[in-house]
Amino acid sequence: MKGFFGYNPGNSILHRLNPLTKIVISIGLCLSCFLTRSHIVILAVIAFNLLLSASAVGLKRSLKMLLSLVKFSAVLFVVQVFFVKQGNVLLRLPPGVIYITDKGVLFSLLFALRLIAAAMPLSAMLSVTRISDISNVFVRSLRIPYKYAFVITTAIRFIPLFSEEMTNIMEAQTARGVQFDTKNFLKKIRLLLPLCVPLLISSVRKIEGGAISAELRGFNLRKRTSGYKTYPFGWSDAAALAVCGLIVALTVFV
Amino acid sequence: MLRFENVFFYRESANTISEVSFDLREGEFAALIGENGAGKSTLCRLCNGLLKPASGRVTVCGHDTATVSTSRIARDTGFLFQNPDMQLCQNTVYGEIMFGLEYALSDPEERKRRTGEILELFSLDGGRDPFSMSRGERQHVALASILACKPRLLILDEPTTGLDYRECVTIMGIISRLHSDGTTILMVSHDMEVVADFAVRALVLSKGRLIADGPVRQIMKDKKVLDEASLLPPQIPALAMLIGGDFSDVLTADEMAETAERAVRQKGARK
Ligand SMILES: Nc1ncnc2c1ncn2[C@@H]1O[C@H](COP(=O)(O)OP(=O)(O)OP(=O)(O)O)[C@@H](O)[C@H]1O
Ligand SMILES: [Mg+2]
Repeated sequence: MKGFFGYNPGNSILHRLNPLTKIVISIGLCLSCFLTRSHIVILAVIAFNLLLSASAVGLKRSLKMLLSLVKFSAVLFVVQVFFVKQGNVLLRLPPGVIYITDKGVLFSLLFALRLIAAAMPLSAMLSVTRISDISNVFVRSLRIPYKYAFVITTAIRFIPLFSEEMTNIMEAQTARGVQFDTKNFLKKIRLLLPLCVPLLISSVRKIEGGAISAELRGFNLRKRTSGYKTYPFGWSDAAALAVCGLIVALTVFV
Repeated sequence: MLRFENVFFYRESANTISEVSFDLREGEFAALIGENGAGKSTLCRLCNGLLKPASGRVTVCGHDTATVSTSRIARDTGFLFQNPDMQLCQNTVYGEIMFGLEYALSDPEERKRRTGEILELFSLDGGRDPFSMSRGERQHVALASILACKPRLLILDEPTTGLDYRECVTIMGIISRLHSDGTTILMVSHDMEVVADFAVRALVLSKGRLIADGPVRQIMKDKKVLDEASLLPPQIPALAMLIGGDFSDVLTADEMAETAERAVRQKGARK
């Protein structure tokens, strides 16, 4: 979880781009896979995404991220494939009512590929952009009030914290004899439910503490021009945007 | 009871535990001391299989942590975390203690009886909400819910940190009573006074290595080891070392008083 949303320090071309450019590119790449219905085009976009992310954070990490996405969408694929009833039946399972059709397979595959292709650029963007830079550029360039930019970025920042907290609590309960280390997935879920309460309570406490300390440090005084960092827009940004525009256009017309 | 054989463990950032070997026998009371970030909490997690050693072997109550699941080890081993909040997950103190027992005792009547006993022993009010209690009280509840299961081995990660003197004495009183009843105890502590007063054996960890292992009495006087682990000896042994002579063996306040009294009497007799 941490790897998926966390910032990966570095000094690659992608790291040095204007944060706004990176946000636009990642949204553009996400969009591109919803504009096309061709599996091949989406596969090409995925390959491009992988290339981008590998150039910034290394191939090993990118592949690891891709693998976890593939696992996740494989589950969705399996769920989805049973719900499409049109088309020629490819496989009929013993109970009779459950069957898989060719259309179902194609549709579910498209769905799964889109999911992968849409999640990759977002995750790549978050791994090459500091969260504070994202909120700063929202405030400076898009003139969004700092309060709202802060809400957005804090939400992103909280996801890994939340999962870390969950791990801690699960560890503590395992040490007390709760069988979280079981292989049975359903049993694990059932054991997890009573833990949601303490997780919620401790998170709300943490947020409350964070809000108070932010207020004490003058959160409400912050204006658009308060940040000292500037985000210049350079040639590399223009070039990157052009490439991205080209890809989106290609996916529309191919 | 608890045996580490040449254990190594790595974190992404650095090697956290290297080449640790020790053997804790049944009924021992050992203190694990060392500077912040020395790897004490990591070592504790290795003890009950929450973390598995990268190489080497950890055996606890006859189970190899690499093959036996943590929830199974938990039946013999109590583990008190540095932060009690991770552990508390019920709305009442009563529920909290019952929750831990669910896996230890199958008979509900027996469970209720045990919970009652523990509430009395810790003088806790079963109806209160743990989340609205003070830090020290929450620590009490967490410890109570662990002791309810009557573990044979008790691992305590800083049980007295953040408590005032009186609560510290209460908790340590309970722990030392358990020790005299035969429970094996491994306790992490930054409070040298507590270590000197209660523990028998000390393990000193520095940068993930076990640099000393021996009787507390001896280690509190070993200047080299203490310096290496950036530890300060508690005041009484430090003072005793300064005085030297008859006092050089003194460790606790009681012993100090006794030795001083003896010294004064001897002086009087000579006159
Ligand atoms: N979850 C984790 N992921 C990565 N590194 C960690 C993690 N937990 C601890 N560490 C690192 O491992 C090292 C040892 O940490 P540990 O918590 O065992 O120290 P400690 O001796 O318990 O310190 P303290 O006295 O502050 O409790 C530290 O350098 C820490 O940065
Ligand atoms: Mg610790």
